[in-house]
Amino acid sequence: MRLGKHAAGKELRVRYIALGAFFMVGLLILVISLYRLMVVRHDEFLALSQDNQWKDVRIRAPRGQIRDSRGQIVVEGRPSFNVYITPTFCLECIREVLPRLAEWLRWDNAHFEKISKQIQEATGLLRYQAMMVSGDLARNELDILNARLQELPGVEIEVVPQRHYRAKALLAHLTGYMNEVTRQELEDSRQKTRIERPVYAPGDFIGRTGIERAFEEELRGVDGWKKVVVNARGQVVRDDQNNIIERREAAPVPGNTVVLSLDLRLQAAVEQAFEKAEAGVAVVVDVKTGFLLALFSKPSFDPNLIVGRQSSRVLAELFNDPMQPMLLRATQQHYHPGSIFKPISLLAALRTEVMNEHTLVNCLGGYRLGSRTWRCHKDSGHGFVNAKSAMQKSCDTYFYRAADLMGIDAIAEEARLFGLGQPSRLGISSEAAGVMPDSAYHDSMTPGGYSKGMALNTAIGQGDVNTTPLQAAMLYAAIANKGTLFQPQLVRRVESLDGRVLKEFSPKIVHHIPMTEKEYRLMVDSLSAVVNETGGTAFRYRLSHIRVAGKTGTAQVARLGKKRLKKEEIPFFQRDHAWFAAFAAVDEPEIAVLVLNEHGGHGSSDAAPIAMKIIEKYFELKKLDETGLGSPEFPYKTDEVPPALPGNASQFAQNKFSELNKTHEGTH
Amino acid sequence: MKVRIEKRMFANWPWSLIGSMLLIAVIGLWNMASASRASHAPLAGAQATFLVVSLVAAIIVALLDYRWVRRMVVPVYFLNLAALVALRFFGHQAKGATSWFLIGPWSVQPAEFMKLSLVMMLAKLFHDDFKPESPTYGFRRLLIPTIVTLVPAVLILKEPDLGTTLMMLLTAMSMMVFAKLRWTVVLTLCLAGIAVVGVLWNDYVREQSEPRWTLVRRGLKPHQDVRVSGWLSPETDLRGANYHQHQSRIAVGSGGLTGKGWQRGSQSGLRYLPEQHSDFIFSVWAEEQGFVACLALIILYGIVFVSILLVAYGSRDRFGAFVAVGFSAMLFWQIFENIGMGTGLLPVTGITLPLFSYGGSSMLSTMLAMGLLMNISINRRR
Repeated sequence: MRLGKHAAGKELRVRYIALGAFFMVGLLILVISLYRLMVVRHDEFLALSQDNQWKDVRIRAPRGQIRDSRGQIVVEGRPSFNVYITPTFCLECIREVLPRLAEWLRWDNAHFEKISKQIQEATGLLRYQAMMVSGDLARNELDILNARLQELPGVEIEVVPQRHYRAKALLAHLTGYMNEVTRQELEDSRQKTRIERPVYAPGDFIGRTGIERAFEEELRGVDGWKKVVVNARGQVVRDDQNNIIERREAAPVPGNTVVLSLDLRLQAAVEQAFEKAEAGVAVVVDVKTGFLLALFSKPSFDPNLIVGRQSSRVLAELFNDPMQPMLLRATQQHYHPGSIFKPISLLAALRTEVMNEHTLVNCLGGYRLGSRTWRCHKDSGHGFVNAKSAMQKSCDTYFYRAADLMGIDAIAEEARLFGLGQPSRLGISSEAAGVMPDSAYHDSMTPGGYSKGMALNTAIGQGDVNTTPLQAAMLYAAIANKGTLFQPQLVRRVESLDGRVLKEFSPKIVHHIPMTEKEYRLMVDSLSAVVNETGGTAFRYRLSHIRVAGKTGTAQVARLGKKRLKKEEIPFFQRDHAWFAAFAAVDEPEIAVLVLNEHGGHGSSDAAPIAMKIIEKYFELKKLDETGLGSPEFPYKTDEVPPALPGNASQFAQNKFSELNKTHEGTH
Repeated sequence: MKVRIEKRMFANWPWSLIGSMLLIAVIGLWNMASASRASHAPLAGAQATFLVVSLVAAIIVALLDYRWVRRMVVPVYFLNLAALVALRFFGHQAKGATSWFLIGPWSVQPAEFMKLSLVMMLAKLFHDDFKPESPTYGFRRLLIPTIVTLVPAVLILKEPDLGTTLMMLLTAMSMMVFAKLRWTVVLTLCLAGIAVVGVLWNDYVREQSEPRWTLVRRGLKPHQDVRVSGWLSPETDLRGANYHQHQSRIAVGSGGLTGKGWQRGSQSGLRYLPEQHSDFIFSVWAEEQGFVACLALIILYGIVFVSILLVAYGSRDRFGAFVAVGFSAMLFWQIFENIGMGTGLLPVTGITLPLFSYGGSSMLSTMLAMGLLMNISINRRR
């Protein structure tokens, strides 16, 4: 047994050597492959390992503010605390973590189901991507989560700048709102900046309407970026070593401030004046420059809800509302102007010389043309009226007569001079052009073509005439300033964050309307008589200390029946529109004011008082500013103060907040 | 259990084997301290404990009576087989495989011990049926060794643990080749080799219309399938199937000649390198210590092989020789596969690097093998 037949040594010797050689060859192969990797291709793999750990992180530029003419902040950014879950690190996510979150953040069942479905469906690399599950935590919610973060693996709270519309619904149509960029916009921004970083990343917000959209590029700023070290989970690691690459970074350039021509105080006064109206528009325009001082559209909406956590539901509600709160009524809707159109008809009659200021017309309560009678609003008739008294009393018969003499085309020509029938080009949203019919229009649009009766309707602002409230306001501004038609503007200037003026907008004149001194005097006198002389349609609502010139209008929406009905007897959407267009003061016009109380009833009783309140407020504020007593505080009541975090906030929140401030400071 | 201690035995201790293996183990501990810096568990400490315990076990095994050891081979083999069967019922599942028993705070991997037991079983078979008049092995004489190999191999494959199964098959085949095969067997093996290449070519490489008509591929688990396809086209799908290997190659390649320094590897420190304390431990070494240190480590392993072959050469019978040859083959294939997969040479299988990777079972089985080799050396022929 020992050495004999089982001896393993010498007889196996060749095999040992062969086996040993085999091992050595194997090890040599390993050495060679290591050599190729570690020496020959070292540079390539070193670069790859650095690519792994260095990641470009975007530093969002703070979006610019929107301020009113006096520097009051209308729109700003504020920190929003959002909750994110990274599925792969969220252990027992569906069973434990989500129910906890749902309880503490008071989720409803649908939201819980949605989130758990999202997390279950995240596979592959998606599991490593943080997804937002809850946005804009309230203070108490933030405190709870911070205290219990240990029980929430995979849950993170991030501070994200959130748009805050301080004026809420007051200026919603003008400031507009923001929402998430669409796939198409992402694609476009990628195409535009082929070499540099694309401007937008998925999940970014972009100005969707109003100033937010029109001045997107000014407000947006330029994002910065920096390189950070990340580990395989994508978490940022403090790099105490491995400073292989030179650290490069670019600070973000904050967005610019857009300064409006509006005065928030006046705007707030307008809203108050509209308290009793269901819907409507008010425009206050500086007649010397065309800048808007107030622009109000009712009903409105709160843009904070749209950029906030329940945006889609809120949007759907807004879109389905029959009152159309998202509509900027001043430009996106047109209406029959009714009697506020009459100055155009009068000017046209004077220009065509079918009448002069002394021509008398006997109003017997109607005007007969062919077989039909056109009714005046006063059934008993106004008796003999001339140009001034016809305007003062808003006598329809006088204008029927004028229209009968000059035809529709003269009226249309005059109206176009004053900007009717074409968009006002305010430039913050799509605009209705309005309709200014002439004979050609009726020949093509109306069965049977143009007939004289259409001119009669047109002369009193009915028939097919439609104007947007802004057009009407600019028209009265042009009358007040003796014939200069301005393009309305909303933005005075663009400033950098430190207050440097980058862009100043000067008044834009569309054209000068030829208007003789005589015509101008007649206009001012007759419009003044409406308010300031006995018998004027707005005489009851005159102001004691300010002489206002204006014109009431009551535009029919539905065809009248035989019997005149009271306002309450008519369904809301068939009631008349109440208009009042005015300028003040008579002797030295500064502002034109237009009020439309939609389906509000009578121009004199339902629109004029609102306009008077606005005019009164304007002069009151002007006096305040001149005496230097202008109130510095925010004029508009807002219950929602941006959640600043006082001293007793949790350490985490404080850190987060000071972090946020730091990035802001760094960019000043 | 019989333990014999005589003074003269110390002259026969295989010092180069013990020295090189202990050196590797100590270097491994140092490397482990770096590899486990990112995780919360103090793995290096645990590994040191495993080393000490295993060393004691090795010394005990070294001092066992040689003939008693040889007698215990068959019972131990069947004990291990029983353990593998029991695993199917009482095993603990982790990472998709039922490979572990949970005993108190420890998890034990029976397959690690089956490897040892199989080598000894085969050695005993080749020892017992040796016929000087016909020194070569044909199919009939290989029948029993093949059955002895396949039974545990199939059990381990079912866990599933493809890597360990392959290691066992390669080890057993190496021992059979070493025992000298008849030319018919050699020819069959060559044909089998060609067949494997042919299957790979058909299943993975050949241009085919989808769905592919495959021979073996359809039977593979998805994770096994992507590993093979990933290995055959290593530069593709770097974020998916080839993520592990790609990160390992980056770690190794970025190490360069001199490495990034102990505990300064970015691939390991930032956890881009997966399984860095077990399967990809070598990549940590390569990244932080560089090519020269890798060369040194491989030379150390080379010394281990030579030492083992010297033990085999001096063994007093065929049993000892075959045990030593089996262990050397086992170590070789593990090292070859582990480093090979770390550098992209071979597909990824869950194979540990002996003495370097974290794991109590692996450490204990390697050290038990060393103890047996010491035993053989002590009882060498005089």
